[in-house]
Amino acid sequence: MKIERYDMIVVGAGPAGLSAAIEAAKRGIKPIVFDENQRPGGQLFKQIHKFFGSKEHKAKIRGFKIGEELLAEAEQYGVKVVLNATVIGLYPEKEVTVRIGDEVKHYKGDAVLVATGAAENMVNFKGWTLPGVIGAGAAQTMMNLHHIKPGNRVLMLGSGNVGLVVSFQLLQSGCEVVALADAAPRVGGYGVHAAKVSRCGVPFYLSHTIVEAEGTDHVTGVVIGQVGPDWKVIPGTEKHFDVDTICLAVGLSPMSQLLKQAGCKMADTKGGYVPVCDEDGATSVPGVYAAGDVSGIEEASSAMIEGRMSGATIAEYLGYITKEEKESRVNELEAQLDTLRQGMFAPKNRGKLVEKTEEGIDVSMNLLEKGYVAQDEIERYPGVTKSKGIHPVIECTQNIPCNPCQDACKMGCIMIGKNITSLPAVDSNHKCIGCGMCVASCSGQAIFLVEEDVEPGYGEVTMPYEFLPLPEVGDKGMAYGRDGREVCAAEVTKVRTSKAFDHTNLLTIKVPNEMLMTARFYKAK
Amino acid sequence: MNRIENHPILGETPSRNKVTFTYNGQVMEGYEGEPISVALKANGVMAHRYTAKKHEPRGIFCAIGRCTDCVMIVNDKPNVRTCITPLEAGMKVQTQYGVSAEKQD
Repeated sequence: MKIERYDMIVVGAGPAGLSAAIEAAKRGIKPIVFDENQRPGGQLFKQIHKFFGSKEHKAKIRGFKIGEELLAEAEQYGVKVVLNATVIGLYPEKEVTVRIGDEVKHYKGDAVLVATGAAENMVNFKGWTLPGVIGAGAAQTMMNLHHIKPGNRVLMLGSGNVGLVVSFQLLQSGCEVVALADAAPRVGGYGVHAAKVSRCGVPFYLSHTIVEAEGTDHVTGVVIGQVGPDWKVIPGTEKHFDVDTICLAVGLSPMSQLLKQAGCKMADTKGGYVPVCDEDGATSVPGVYAAGDVSGIEEASSAMIEGRMSGATIAEYLGYITKEEKESRVNELEAQLDTLRQGMFAPKNRGKLVEKTEEGIDVSMNLLEKGYVAQDEIERYPGVTKSKGIHPVIECTQNIPCNPCQDACKMGCIMIGKNITSLPAVDSNHKCIGCGMCVASCSGQAIFLVEEDVEPGYGEVTMPYEFLPLPEVGDKGMAYGRDGREVCAAEVTKVRTSKAFDHTNLLTIKVPNEMLMTARFYKAK
Repeated sequence: MNRIENHPILGETPSRNKVTFTYNGQVMEGYEGEPISVALKANGVMAHRYTAKKHEPRGIFCAIGRCTDCVMIVNDKPNVRTCITPLEAGMKVQTQYGVSAEKQD
């Protein structure tokens, strides 16, 4: 039997695996990366939204662009990626078996990094196996990779970031999202993601779950019902929707089977079955490492940093760099990772109800329970100010690690400060010139420009707009509130697109002055 | 039509080679290289297979080759994951009943 040897074998060419291979290749290692898919990049190429974080986390860059950058970097450093190659075993002495075509090949690595990611969870209900019931990841794959609508009328189950982001992407693809349901009593994902779905008119049903998928050969409808404190559906609360697709976004589980097989010490945690590892990814088996979602579900941004940490650690393990070199690199990366793990959605806050922001402001309960900030809540936040001239209104109401808006404003109107999770505040001492860079830079699409009295009795609201067809100047339609309800007639007065906005168009509508703090979306008649 | 021709972020869908294949003997069109399941979806096919014991329909579920709900008989070979198998001109795609191309009682 022929065994090929490598210094470093990486399982999975997603954000974590590629980052690790790049980091190691920079130190002179020639790693080999196996991936079962036809294309590298993992799930990054399905992520079409702008990422959160700061510059060092590639904030405000769309996921698939980050994927392209990562592939270019991998090529630059000569990282060898073998595709259509399924790793089927990881044995003692770091022997790896890989199925390529109809053959099983044997490899041996001095170090093996497992970066296999995660798989979507399921949930059972009557009819859940019917064609038309799909994972949220499947929806993303179909629409963002293969240019096909997953369905025409969709119900989304799950209000975590995946459910929220995919709901928005479904709308962008031209699908109708009839409702977003979650058995939990409160929205699980970022409030800004919920808000952008809400204002498009998608109703949120928290404390609701699916009772039944209807249909005989495929989905033709769905029934949801309200759950009581015992998580059982309360009789009489059932609601029916005509849908052809039910999308499940009910969490992810680490795909850690290979690590268990390798004999790594494992732990059954709330976040799934994961290897016990050090911060740098070292498992209990010397030379076997784990990075990314396989070691605990987070997001692509943290997976990339974890991958780089593992890459540097492996370089030291194999003797390519000194302990000091490794430590300085790992410390630098750890600081970046630490920043991403701050704020209301930090791993330590999972499942907890945070009632006050870091600034001591009450968190919007309406946002958590209905998906949008209520009119009487919005003015308590430091980004929401009133003044005569054009100015930004920043509806960012939760402490999340993100700050591109501060850098985007060349006039210094927006302040976040040193603490990346602080709510952005508008400094009225600096004059807004209405350039709209902040509107386009906000990954949460939570910034609007507002100007009173553009003409007698009427003002203008500028909003981020990522849909087709793009409205034209002079178009007349309706303005919608944060809750997705029609509020008044509106006329399009400006449509701006620019390379710098990266496909986030700036749509300006004219509405009565008294609607300037209410109108947050526009639809043509 | 459920094909996305133009997308607000991804732009216009690149043009691809149109090919024909058969689905249970019926001639259908799809694009070369796209997953078989996508071509079927564009043609309105939802049920890919029926289970062996209860004869229940199954279709696309995960779309990334993990769940095996979408397997069909392709070029006379059963259990082909249609969500990750690229479409080729002239492919013979059949509904899978259990592991057979014949409907069972």
